[in-house]
Amino acid sequence: MSWRTWGLKRSPWVYHVNVGACNNCDIEVLELLTPRYDVERFGIVLVGSPRHADALLVTGICTRQAEARLRAVYEQTPKPCVVFCIGVCACTGGIFRHAYHFSRPVDQVIREMDPKAIIAYVPGCPPKPEAMILGAVKALATL
Amino acid sequence: MAETKPATAAVESPVLSRVVTALGDMVLEVREQSLRRGWVRVDPARVREMARVMFHVVRGRLATVTGLEVRDGIDILYHWALDADTYVVTVKALASRPALAIDSVGQDLPAADWIEREMHDLLGAEFRGHPDMRRLILADNWPEGVYPLRRGFKAPKSDAAGNRTPKEWAGAPIKEEAARKRSEPKPPKPGRTLINIGPFHPLQEEAEFFQLYCDGETVVDMDVRLSYNHRGIEELSTRMTWDQVPFLVERVCGICSASHPWAYIRAVEDICGIQAPPRAEYLRTIVAELERLHSHMLWVGLAGHFLGYNTVWMWAWKYREPVMDILELTTGSRIHYANNRIGGIRRDFTPDMYPEIRKAVDSIKKPMEMLTKAVLDDPVLHARLKGVGVLSKEEAMRWGVTGPTARASGVPIDVRRDDPHGAYGEVEWNVITQDEGDVFAKAVVRCLESFESIKIIEQCLRKIPDGPIAADVDHIPPGEGVGHYEAPRGETFHYVRSDGGPGPVRHKIRAPSYVNVPSFRASCIGQNIADVSIILASVDPCYSCTERMARVLDATTRRPLYTFEDLVRLSQERTRRLMKKL
Repeated sequence: MSWRTWGLKRSPWVYHVNVGACNNCDIEVLELLTPRYDVERFGIVLVGSPRHADALLVTGICTRQAEARLRAVYEQTPKPCVVFCIGVCACTGGIFRHAYHFSRPVDQVIREMDPKAIIAYVPGCPPKPEAMILGAVKALATL
Repeated sequence: MAETKPATAAVESPVLSRVVTALGDMVLEVREQSLRRGWVRVDPARVREMARVMFHVVRGRLATVTGLEVRDGIDILYHWALDADTYVVTVKALASRPALAIDSVGQDLPAADWIEREMHDLLGAEFRGHPDMRRLILADNWPEGVYPLRRGFKAPKSDAAGNRTPKEWAGAPIKEEAARKRSEPKPPKPGRTLINIGPFHPLQEEAEFFQLYCDGETVVDMDVRLSYNHRGIEELSTRMTWDQVPFLVERVCGICSASHPWAYIRAVEDICGIQAPPRAEYLRTIVAELERLHSHMLWVGLAGHFLGYNTVWMWAWKYREPVMDILELTTGSRIHYANNRIGGIRRDFTPDMYPEIRKAVDSIKKPMEMLTKAVLDDPVLHARLKGVGVLSKEEAMRWGVTGPTARASGVPIDVRRDDPHGAYGEVEWNVITQDEGDVFAKAVVRCLESFESIKIIEQCLRKIPDGPIAADVDHIPPGEGVGHYEAPRGETFHYVRSDGGPGPVRHKIRAPSYVNVPSFRASCIGQNIADVSIILASVDPCYSCTERMARVLDATTRRPLYTFEDLVRLSQERTRRLMKKL
């Protein structure tokens, strides 16, 4: 394990990117920070800039307009980083997969830029906060 | 379909006959659908006059405008809500082929500004005299001349690798340069700074990219670019069956996932002329009010965060949890309830749920009282929020705002009272209004409304009748209907058209923030940059991300000056300075 990966696994700071979601996954992400779930206990902090982040929490289908912005955000994130596709929309497109303004799944956008990207999936509509915590634990355990 | 009457024939409803008289000889035909819904067709050459009469004489509120492709062109449907008369009248005018052009109503009435731009994007209708026809909701790289809501449009399919390149529109080359030019912001005047806030922001057509034009610290103009979150739900809906659509529309917005299906179902029930059984109406009411409760508490928390009161954020969200638990207990999901259907409701409550609901509702009364007192009595909040971001009553009506945003400006509208449905006509509750129109008034309205929701839920639990939970609906006849519901943020408005087939042929959705957000142009101008984040937050524009990307760019170098964090920090520091002073 390189020191970079070792560092990534401790106190991951997360940046939240909404690329066309219905708001629900986003609320549940914020829910994680509030007293009932309180993931700050584990050093998980929501940060305001991708340049400070260890992980990206991507929610929503990747819309045509948001795709370029998602790329910009991923480029700005220091590597190595983990991309979490939160919710079924970010994983596959979900109920919106046939919509005309859907560009393509988040993982394809990221993979095209960086074939070695670390991508974790948390399906659900929306995933419960417990599921998100489990997803984070599993993803970090496999690093 | 109901019969069409010539304009001269007697109209039964006094409200509709008043409308027809006011419109005079521009009326071509009149149709009465039910006691609360009427349709009027007018001369397309006189729509500006029509809008003036409807706004100033009939005192209607332009809820939204629907564009609908028909044989002869595009039918433009102006939906006017006459809140005081419990009536929705839809005025139709045809933009005929080949020009598909009609006079712009948006040049006189700002409430129609965005929606005309949207119809231009999605249907290709032309609005003569509209001051600003830049692209609003389609992406920068969308090809010119491809209209997703027109007949013959095919959503591009993904290839095996999932790529959906614009090349699929061979006939309509993507004019990226031209499109980008159309989407670009107006350049600021010399000496002014352009400040970007955005672009990431949730809700159907509400992903926003604000641009503030500043002179020193004062905002002198602003601009908004949508599209980041535009998913094309209206088009997707026409490819689904009647019973699939509620699952789709609850995903318009996560915090309104009881409201959107209800508005859609009211529109469909309007077409069929059916009424859900009383028990179903009560159950719908309880779930919708629980949703309002958790939404308002969420807002109080986030508003606290913006002002630097992070304790308020944490506490409000902690006390909100019991409501989420109850929603999960009764509907099976914390957020997407999936319990509403045409003709009734999917799942019944069992008697052992009632004490649980009572307990949860009881448990939030005290914290809510504490939060409300904290807002009402805090001298810092008074100094910080009073007189900030004022939206006057006149402006509120011109922009057609709804919900707490309208009620805080002294416009006493609430669909739950003005168009009674569910159990709202059978329980005691009040519409909360404030006259000031500032951010403080909006906070007060939301806090006090939570108590009304609690009152409604408690009475519903006492009065809920036994009986079936759904009526049988075997066929949706051809026709058109409108339905609206008071979502936590304001009126959500749906128009549905049926051809008797398996699903809607046109489904127009207008979410409350769509009319509330543009009113920033009235409330933000002349304000301080540090106040803008709370003004933007004050209409509760369905934001979920407190870390929404925001950048302040230097107008000439385009170099970032402030990030959104800085803006929040500016706002929080200002509160702290005030605290010290007091």
